[in-house]
Order: sequence, then structure tokens, then C-alpha cells
Amino acid sequence: MLATFLAQTAATTPIPDVAWSSFAPELPPTITALVLLLVAVARRRQLLVAVPTALLAVAAGVWLIASGETPGALVVPGAVAIVLGILAPALVVATRGRTSLLAAWAAAASLVAALVLTVWQYLTVLTPDGPTLVPQLAMADAIANDGIAVFTRLVVYLSALLVIPLGYGYLQDRRINRAEVEPLLLLAVVGMAALGSANDLITLFIALELLSLALYVLAGLARRDRRSQEASLKYFVTGSVASAILLFGMALIYVATGTVTLPEIGAAVGLVTTPRFVAAIGLALITVGIGFKVALAPFHLWTPDVYQGAPTNVTAFMAAGTKAAGFAAALRLYLVAFPDLEALWVPVLAVLAALTMLYGAFLAVVQHDVKRILAYSAISHAGFATIGLVANSDAGLSATLWYLLTYAVSTLTAFGCVIVLERRRRGEVTLADLRGVGRSAPAIAGILAFALLSLAGIPITAGYVGKLVVFEAGIEAGFTWLVLVGVLASVVAAFFYLRIAGMMFLEDSPEPVEGPYPSFGLSVGVTVSAALVLYLGIQPELLLRLATDAGVLAR
Amino acid sequence: MGMITLTIALPLLGALAIGFIGDDRRNVKVVALAASVAAFVASLVLVWQFDVTDPNLQLVERFTWIPTIGAELAFAVDGVSLVLIVLTTFVTPLILLASWDDISDRMHAYTAAFLILQAAAVGVFAATDLLVFYVFFEFTLVPMYLLIGIWGGAGRKAAAVKFFLYTLLGGLLMLVAILYLYAQTGTFAYDAIRQVDLSLTEQRWLFVAFVLAFGVKVPVFPLHTWLPDAHTEAPTGGSVFLAGILLKLGTFGLLRYALPLFPDATIELAPWLLAIAVVGILYGAIVALMQSDIKRLIAYSSVSHMGFVVLGTFALNVTATSASVVQMVNHGLSTGALFLLIGFLYERRHTRQIAAFGGLAKRVPIMAGLWLLVSLSSLALPGLNGFVGEFPILLGTFQTNRLAAVLATFGAVLAALYLLWAYQRMFHGPLEGADNEHTTDLRPREIGVLVPFVVLIVAIGVYPQPLFDVVEPAVERVLVEVGVSDGLPLEPAAVTEEG
Repeated sequence: MLATFLAQTAATTPIPDVAWSSFAPELPPTITALVLLLVAVARRRQLLVAVPTALLAVAAGVWLIASGETPGALVVPGAVAIVLGILAPALVVATRGRTSLLAAWAAAASLVAALVLTVWQYLTVLTPDGPTLVPQLAMADAIANDGIAVFTRLVVYLSALLVIPLGYGYLQDRRINRAEVEPLLLLAVVGMAALGSANDLITLFIALELLSLALYVLAGLARRDRRSQEASLKYFVTGSVASAILLFGMALIYVATGTVTLPEIGAAVGLVTTPRFVAAIGLALITVGIGFKVALAPFHLWTPDVYQGAPTNVTAFMAAGTKAAGFAAALRLYLVAFPDLEALWVPVLAVLAALTMLYGAFLAVVQHDVKRILAYSAISHAGFATIGLVANSDAGLSATLWYLLTYAVSTLTAFGCVIVLERRRRGEVTLADLRGVGRSAPAIAGILAFALLSLAGIPITAGYVGKLVVFEAGIEAGFTWLVLVGVLASVVAAFFYLRIAGMMFLEDSPEPVEGPYPSFGLSVGVTVSAALVLYLGIQPELLLRLATDAGVLAR
Repeated sequence: MGMITLTIALPLLGALAIGFIGDDRRNVKVVALAASVAAFVASLVLVWQFDVTDPNLQLVERFTWIPTIGAELAFAVDGVSLVLIVLTTFVTPLILLASWDDISDRMHAYTAAFLILQAAAVGVFAATDLLVFYVFFEFTLVPMYLLIGIWGGAGRKAAAVKFFLYTLLGGLLMLVAILYLYAQTGTFAYDAIRQVDLSLTEQRWLFVAFVLAFGVKVPVFPLHTWLPDAHTEAPTGGSVFLAGILLKLGTFGLLRYALPLFPDATIELAPWLLAIAVVGILYGAIVALMQSDIKRLIAYSSVSHMGFVVLGTFALNVTATSASVVQMVNHGLSTGALFLLIGFLYERRHTRQIAAFGGLAKRVPIMAGLWLLVSLSSLALPGLNGFVGEFPILLGTFQTNRLAAVLATFGAVLAALYLLWAYQRMFHGPLEGADNEHTTDLRPREIGVLVPFVVLIVAIGVYPQPLFDVVEPAVERVLVEVGVSDGLPLEPAAVTEEG
């Protein structure tokens, strides 16, 4: 069965039903998550799990390489499988029983594999001849493998890959480096990636629940920290309500159209026989549900508490990954399933976007806790990303995807710096705690300031190019007023970003400040993500081109 | 790599090198000075390569940047930008030299900020791609924010934030306008965007957006309120760069972008801008007259003097508009020199209150002499540079709008009053108090910093023709694009045509 799929994938392209390749990148993180759970159960007998895993993976890899009809067509996935297989026992030996270190390395390796497979899939399967992307549907149209899917995978896998080194030392400090952390993170990221390619309502809902359930648990990792518990519970309760509302909306859409596949819904909504009223109610409920997940005002109320209470690495991952995946799902929903109801959702989302941008920006001004400020900033940024969605065009679609990438790298850098500062303080970081950091730790203060400038959208940062592209999409679609609201929100936001930077550089601490203690993982994570912010700000061409090509949808 | 790119890249490389050197005063100062002087030399080569007879943008340099959205790193110069580029590269090394021993804290960051400012300003003057222009325009914000915020006076934090937010708001409005133009043309290239046909309504909105962005920077009354704070709180070098270069980004932007891109709106709204300019001239002068802090006084005088530049720009004839470009240079030189002198005095006395000084000329004759000369240049005494800028502005404006010219002339009179009165109170009268008794005169390094300013002040005052020769063709080109020549619309029909 699998062999035929594999053979088809490689031999002749394009093939209408390329099932296997459409979730190939998700396989390494999923399998790694399961293996890591087994490893955790195995305790001292880790090799007992690792060696059979390795044998299976190497065998699968060899078989992949040998099985393609065209010789060598599946070399890349085969090689990935073999390398991961060999890595499994090697890591067990190298980490000498330190489960959390093993888990971190294994998770990172599986995410690198996922990124490699994403690129491979993009180059060989989706763009067989030349730069034009050929969208593909698979699994009875449940999965759409197109621009949104590829770009979402890149963003979420990259975010997760950066979060692992950022979180390792942090979790260890707080003694919450338990065995389930990395598997849950991997499951969440798989859910996010699946959300990006979900082409029917059922897949969409399952993917959303997969990532949400994993994140509910991750938010409550710090079992002895009441705030973390509160965050987890709050996230769970509001998230479940949102899921229920979303599901109700989906049910109504099914009632109205008789199908769950997005393109078919899109076709059916326009028909005279479809009860438009029921469809509209369904759409409204779906909008509420999605609004909860991506934290659009007025459905954002859970965000500040959850972001502040959750362990910082989890917060960073939520901000970067969930937002990207949630918007990917929203883009596909609105653009593929509801183009005929655009008179309904475009104005509503435009108002929500304006409200969200302003609300997030203004409320951040009065906050004192740095994580909470970044949480409100996350709300505000969701509003900016919505501008691209409201534009309701291919350019807008690309703009939103691109914006979420720039936001992900910027916010990861910022949260990474917060983790470094938290390490020193072993507690929350308020604005007053930042005084004098520019002198005691110029490197970390400089990087944090740079990330904040990116969030504020100042040139030569990724955030600037992000804002540029969404504003452009908004103006092209005739939403100049919304862009002007965005300008106002940007200026207000610049005020509080500057306040953080000003605390670090312009104020001196009353008492001598000890330097922070960045660990190796933190240094690597923060440096790489800051370098990405700079790279995307100065030389955005490559990935911006990819985002622009992602405008091709599987409809 | 052409000379323009080199002029931008050298200071940036210098800043990068300083980043690696770290907090090592001696090496940092040498590297910073070397980088900025090298950029000055590169800009002189640019002058040598420049063809004075060609009114168009020349010495084009282009590099691919973001082909996906049609932006490329494109640079070129015309007479106006050439003059301002040289002004920038001339002033920056002198600022660094002036701060040689005066900055005790984080010298590396201080010098790096100036190098980045220098590169960004040259980039603004040379860019021929609107996105590149915007990037450089906004890129001046962060170093200036840090300069004011870290090395400034007591109210530095509020002043720095105010400066940043004002300029950011203006800049973002301009970005929206640029993106609107991009939506019409699909490119950011200046030459392509100049060709686009816009209806009068569109032109009005876009023109207002650009004028707001540049008006904040100039600053035009009533958008000027950040300037006195920023100037007063900034360290000496920061004030000099702000007055000398950054304010010119605004007037340069008006001339390069607002006028030729939106010609009909320019002709229609020019009287309003003349009115705003006149209000600014008079308001700045009157408020300057009442200041007790000498630095604040000069800051308000900047509002007044930059009002003359705006007046000349929107008089829309070759005489006034060329003179307004010359006046940009003059203001940079004389106000820059005044801020340097104030800085030198402040280091000696740690006060800027005019009332605290008196009879200083007896103790510090060199400083007093230079102060008087620079003040006279600033108040437009014939024979010094201020006169050759201000007089043709008034002359040209008189041809297009008599009332504006007459009212503006009062500003020139008031300038004499506030500058000379301040000079008199500080340097003449009885020498009282121990502080005044023990004030020391300028040191050789400080004199050395001021001499180049003084030489140019006198040289331009005596023989301004070469400067006009460089500037005039480019100004004429702009005015032809607007559709006016010597104050008269070329095609009167274009004014009323509603697209």
C-alpha cells in the first residue's frame, strides 16, 4: 500500500492523489514523540527502545531509497529516515541517561528532519517543473498540499526548533523538565502543521484539538506555580468553549451544504438551494471560534493571563506557532469555503482587526510585567495579520503568511531574551527589573531591543518588511482606513516597546545588577532567531518569494 | 561599487568595526574618525565626478534587493542631494572631533550612533527608490533616540520618546502614501512613480501625507513641539547633527518628493504652506526672543529659519527655491556652529541660562568673537552666508506672494534682535561672579572644530555662485515638473482639472 504511494509520488508528477507526500514532514516529529514517550517509560533501559527503533528506521530508509520507480527519487526521505535511525541509539549513548537532554536533541533532530522534508516536498513534489506551485489534494481531499501548507510548516517547525534550545535550560532551572515536555511539543507542532493543510472541517477540527490539548498541558507544566496552573485551566476552559462553538458552527455549515470538504462548501454556499441563513450563522460561530484561537479582540480575554502564567518557552511557542497555524486555517476557511459570503465576513473581520490592533496596543501601555506586555503585543499583532485576511486576495493571503513568519521570529527572539533575564531573577520580569540591563548585559539587552524594534516595525528588521507587505495588501484591496488604524496602533505600540528598551538603556539600576546567565542553548537559540530577524529584514527576497508563491490555493 | 555606495558603506563598516572593538576609547575614536573622514573623501570624489550642467539625477548606482516587490537599492544624485551629502559628510567628522574628550560614558556606542546617522542621512539624500528612501529615513530614528536618551540632559527620556513617536507617526503616514503609489504602479522606483497619473483628490491626500511626514521633520509649525525638547536635551553632537542634517531631511523630502510627485496639489496648496511657513517664521522668532535658556533659544530660532526654507521651497520660482536649498546648507553651518559653541560653554559652566552669564567677552575673547560671527551669519548679515540664502528667498517669494514676503521679513528683523540681544547679555556688560571670572577660553581642538565652519560661512557669504550653480539646474528641473517657472504656472489649465 505505502509502497505504491511512494512510487507514485516519485515517478510521475503531478499526480492528483499524492497521499504519502502530503504528510511526510509530519511523520518524523510524530514518531519521535511516540518513541520519546516509550524512552521515558523505559527508564534505565533506554537502549532497549532506541535500538529497535533504529533498526526499523534504517530498514524503512533503505527500502524507501530502493523502492522508487525512478531510481533515486526518494533518496531524501530515505536518507532522513536512516540518519534519524542512527541518531536514536547514538543520542541515548551520548546523553548517558539524561532523559531531558536526550529528548531535547531528539526533538530538535526530528524537527530538522521535518524542515528538510518540507523543503524536499516543495522542490520535488509541489513544484515539479519550474517555480509555479502545483497544489495537490490527498486523502479523499481531506488534506490540501499547497502554498499555505508549505509555508505554515516552515513557520511552525522553525518556531518549535528555536523553542527547544530556548526552553531547555529554563525548564531545568524550574525543575519542570519532565519527560512529556518534548513529546507534547512535537504533537502540538504536528497539530499546527496539520492545521495548515487541513482541507475539510473534520481534519481541521482534529488538528486544532491536537495542538490545543497539547498546549493546555504544556501551559500547566509548572505544577507548583499557581499562576501556571491558573493559565492552564483558563486556557483549557476558554479553549474548550471556543472549540465547542467552532464545532457547532461546523455542524451548521454541514447542515446547510451537506459536505465537510472546504472546496465543496465553497461551491455549495453559492447555490440557490443552500439555506444561506444557516450558513451565515455557521460562519459567525466559526468566526467566534477562530477568533478565540488566534486571540482577536473581543475574544482575546484569555491571552494575557495565559501568556503571563505559562512557562515562558511555552508562551513563546504559543505566540509564534499557534498564531501561524490558526491564521493558516482561517485563511483557508474564509478564502476557500466562504468566498461567496465575503459581504458578511470581510467587514466583520475588518472591524475586529481594527479593534484588536488598537486594543492590544493601548492595553499594553499600562502593563508592567514584560511577559504581559508581550502578550498584549501578541493580540495587537493578530490584528495586523488579519489585515491580509480582510484584503481577501492572493496578495493578502501571502501577506498574512509572511507577516506571521516575521512575527514568529521576532517574538521568539523577544521571549528568548525574557527567558535569559528570568534565569537571573528566577521569577517574573517587570519593567523596573530591566533598569541597568543595558549596562550589565549589553548583548542580551541589545538583542531584546532589536527584537522589540522588529515588533514595532522599524526598518532593517523582519517586522518592518512584515508590516510593509500587509499594509500594501490592505491598501491594494481598498482598506486604506484599516491601514491608517494600523499606523495609529503602530505608533502606540512603538511607545511601549521603546519603554522596555528605554528601561534597559536609559535608566540605571539603583542597586548593582548581576549579569544574566545565558546557557549554551539559550545563547544559540537567541542568536539564531535574532539573526533570522536581521536576515528577513535585510534580505527578505527568498522567503518573501515563497510566501508570494504560496498565494496559489488548492480550491 | 560606486562612490555613493561607498559614502554610505564606509561609515556603516566603521560602526561595525566599532561593534567588534567594544568599549576601548582610543581605538574607537580613531576608527570612527577615520571612517567618517573616508566617507567625506568619497563624497568629494562624488563632487568631482558630478556634471554640473546636467539637471537630472546622475551617477546612478543600482543593486537588486527585493525583486518580488519591485524594490531595488538604487542611488543617484542631483545638485540638491550632492550639496546635502557633502554637508553631511563634512559635519559628522567635526562632530566626532568636538566630542573627542567630552563623552565619558560608552564612547563606542556614541560614535557608532553618529556613523549610522551619517550613513542613513546620505542614504536619504541619494535614494531613488521610495522604499530605500523610507528605510533610510526611518533608520535615523533609533541612533538619534539613543543619542538623546543616553547622553542627553535631565529631561532626556521624555524628549527622546517624543522625538521618536512624532517622527514615526509622520513616517508611517508617508509609508501609507508610498504604498498607495506602489499600488498604482507596482514599483518603488522614483522615475516610474513620477510618471503616474493621479487625480487631484488623490494628489491632495498623498501630498498631505508627505507634507505631514516631512513637516514633522523640518519642523513646520504646529508640528514643531518635539524640537525644542530634543534640541535642549540632546548632547552637543546630537544637537549639531539634528540641526545640521536631520532637519534637512524634511525640506529635502518636500523638494524631491512632495513637489514633483503631486504637482497639481502642490500648486493648489502652496499658498497654505506659505502661510504655515510665515507663521512658523514669526512664531519661532517671537518665542525665541522670550527664552531664558540659550540652547532653547537657538532651537526656536531653528523653527524660524527652517520656516524660511519652506517659504522658499513653496514660493515655486527658481530664485527662491534654489536659495532655500542654499539656506539649508547655511542653516546647517551656522546653527551647527552655534550649538557647538553652546556645548563648549556648557562644559565649562554646566548651565545654559542666559542670566547666569555676563561680560564673558573679557575672559573668553576667541569664543566671543566666533559667537558673534556665527550669530551674524545666522541673522543674515550681508557678506556672510545667511544673507545669500535668506535674501533671494524673500526676493523670490515677493514675486509670487507679496504678503508672505513682507511678513517673513519681520522674522529676519526679529532674528537680529534675539541673537544679538542674547550675545549682548552673555558676553558684554559687567563681568560679575566667580563663575564668569573663571571661565576659560576655547582650547585649540575646539577652535580647530569651529574653523572649518567659519571658513565656509565666510566663503559662501562672499562667493556663493558655485553653490548656486550646482543647485539651480536640479531645482529648475523640479519646478518644470511641477509645471511652474518663475512663479507662473506653465499650464494654467492643469490647476483646475479634476481627474
